[in-house]
Amino acid sequence: MRRLILNFHLAVALIAGAFIALLGVTGSILTFEPELDRLLHPAVSYVKPGRRILSLGEIGAAVSRQYPDEPIVAYLPSLSPEFPTRIILSRGIISVDQYTGNILGVRTRGLTFLGLVRALHVRLASGDRGRLIVRCAACAMLLSLFSGLYLWWPARRMRIRRPWFSSAFWFDLHNAVGVFSFAFLLVLAGTGIVIGFEDQASSLLGKFAGSSAMPVKPALRALPSEHSGLELTPDQAVDIARAQLPGTVADRVQMPRFGGSYQVSLVNTRDRTLGTRNSVSLDPWSGQILSTTRASDISLGERILAWNQGLHTGAAFGISSRIIVAAAGMLVPVQIVSGFWIWLRRRTIMHSSRSE
Amino acid sequence: MSKTIALLITLVALATSNHDLSGRWSGNFRVDGGDHNVPQLFIFQQQGTKLSGSGGPNEGEQYPIENGTIVNDDARFQLTTGEWKFTYHLQRAAKDDLQGDLKLESVGESRAAKVSLKRVKEK
Repeated sequence: MRRLILNFHLAVALIAGAFIALLGVTGSILTFEPELDRLLHPAVSYVKPGRRILSLGEIGAAVSRQYPDEPIVAYLPSLSPEFPTRIILSRGIISVDQYTGNILGVRTRGLTFLGLVRALHVRLASGDRGRLIVRCAACAMLLSLFSGLYLWWPARRMRIRRPWFSSAFWFDLHNAVGVFSFAFLLVLAGTGIVIGFEDQASSLLGKFAGSSAMPVKPALRALPSEHSGLELTPDQAVDIARAQLPGTVADRVQMPRFGGSYQVSLVNTRDRTLGTRNSVSLDPWSGQILSTTRASDISLGERILAWNQGLHTGAAFGISSRIIVAAAGMLVPVQIVSGFWIWLRRRTIMHSSRSE
Repeated sequence: MSKTIALLITLVALATSNHDLSGRWSGNFRVDGGDHNVPQLFIFQQQGTKLSGSGGPNEGEQYPIENGTIVNDDARFQLTTGEWKFTYHLQRAAKDDLQGDLKLESVGESRAAKVSLKRVKEK
């Protein structure tokens, strides 16, 4: 039985090891994607906090002076004093200093290094086939973890013997890293599989844990055209939306020209997993609330999926869980390389003993 | 003579109307590597080679068409829905059938999709 499990453990690693290692490394990078993105684009990512924050209307006017022919698609108000407010235009995302109205720069749309990392992690930067391979690799990782635990159990080896990079060192490293990271990697593989099969998981959870309680969007009119009276300003739209959902702050205001109504997304910064699931849709002329989505109203099934996502990305418990997720992801290639090295050394020894 | 002119006018009108995309078109797109189809509804207005109007997932959520052109049944246009920009390149597969490619771009991301639309018959 042990021999069979060992061969299975080896086969899984040899077939899927490279993909599993890729998922680990890319996943680790993505855990700190916002910070890395700011690091890669510092000129459009930071502002010096000032005394007065300009209103969205004032910020919008500053952008419209610079780009007079482009209507504002949406405002992304800053949630931190040192990060700029961003404004979405057709040409890209404009970063604006919310204290001075100065335009810091434009981020154009298109693939970036971090986008490529995300594409690799989710679908090997390709289509259906890549996504299938990622799903299979996540399942293979789960099988590899359980078979590895079974193989480790009899000796329960934890110490790493020296000299460095000897056969014993690689064997012990594989065992020790495997057992210490087991629980974290198990969570990452399990939650990753759920994300990989999210549509199926969502419909399954809908059956057992109830379907979404989110209100269905009412039928709105199409793009607003000629209308008597004054349209609400984005600041007024935010005030109405915040009054509807106290304790939240607006992180996105989509203009009615783009979608048919004011769409205000609100964040509850105290709730890490569901805090972003708040939004209010407003009639741009009367200010009448057309629909409200509250994080507190979402179904148990969706809560489970949100927590699954939070555990996988490390966002669920803040910076500490993000560090753990990033570190666990980086240990995956260590396991793959040390396992491959053990297999290679054993193979060489077996060949030489046979030839003797 | 007047009958011939009337016939010619009718034929020209018919030929023009066959190529005119004006009207409602519904269908969906599927992102490469995606699990599901995303619904689409377009309300096109064609004036010569200029294509305008709006599009989105349904009638309630419509975004203005930008940079729309149509040349020889080859339609190109864009939509900005927020962070995402949608660039369509559609061709007429049949009289009331448009097929083509869609490029979805956000800051940092770029994805491809296949689009299929059919004209909505007016009641």
